[in-house]
Amino acid sequence: MRFLLLIKANNENEQATVPGAGARTEMGKFNEELVRAGVLLAADGLQPSSKGARVTLSDDTRTVTDGPFAETKELVAGFCMIQVKSKEEAVEWAKRCPNPRGAGFAEIEVRQVSDAADPVPSH
Amino acid sequence: MRFMIIRKADAETEAGLMPSEELIAAMGRYNEEMVKAGVLLDASGLQSSTKGARVKFSHGKPTVIDGPFTETKELVAGYSIIQVASKDEAIEWVKRWPVEDSHGAAYIEIRQLFELEDFGPSAAIDRMIEVGFSDKKQDQ
Repeated sequence: MRFLLLIKANNENEQATVPGAGARTEMGKFNEELVRAGVLLAADGLQPSSKGARVTLSDDTRTVTDGPFAETKELVAGFCMIQVKSKEEAVEWAKRCPNPRGAGFAEIEVRQVSDAADPVPSH
Repeated sequence: MRFMIIRKADAETEAGLMPSEELIAAMGRYNEEMVKAGVLLDASGLQSSTKGARVKFSHGKPTVIDGPFTETKELVAGYSIIQVASKDEAIEWVKRWPVEDSHGAAYIEIRQLFELEDFGPSAAIDRMIEVGFSDKKQDQ
């Protein structure tokens, strides 16, 4: 099963700077562990939302709103795509992710990725 | 430049409803156009947040909360990674998003990705490249 670990944004990510040397070393070690365990499929960091945009579609209308976006803690700052056997295993990896906010507060969302082989739910 | 195109969730994606045949065909045509233009690097859909979890860290201590999560329009329902020359080009692609999706009312966020070069000289980045991490970046 594939899971996407979505690392949520904080004020530091949103302030346009690349991660500091300490954070880079910690994330590097975590990524290395994921690579060695053979679970890492992809990983990337997102630039602050000030460099992004949102597009709202409403039938034939397209409304473009440039960033930054206010609701920082709902924004994505980075992600890892991992291949594991269960949601529990994905959560265990998420728990070991170096705290992206140091001593503060951080959040990682764990989401299952759809695969073509998934059973189609009946409804 | 690479951009992550985030398709935000709606009531239907969160209810776990599978896309209609019409929508699958429309998204297929759209993705095919991007593949032909050499723009599309990856695309995936996420299962509803019911099947997910959140790990919240408070002073380094993790707490796990199982889904579903309520703030539907802030959730991610799927994403694509594209390689284009500018943010404007990314926006132009997104404007062509299939109207069949979300009953013509899809809500999409466009975010630029960091490239390893953006970090400048770094022993930690060099180590990540050495262990094969750069192969895990979604580029060609």
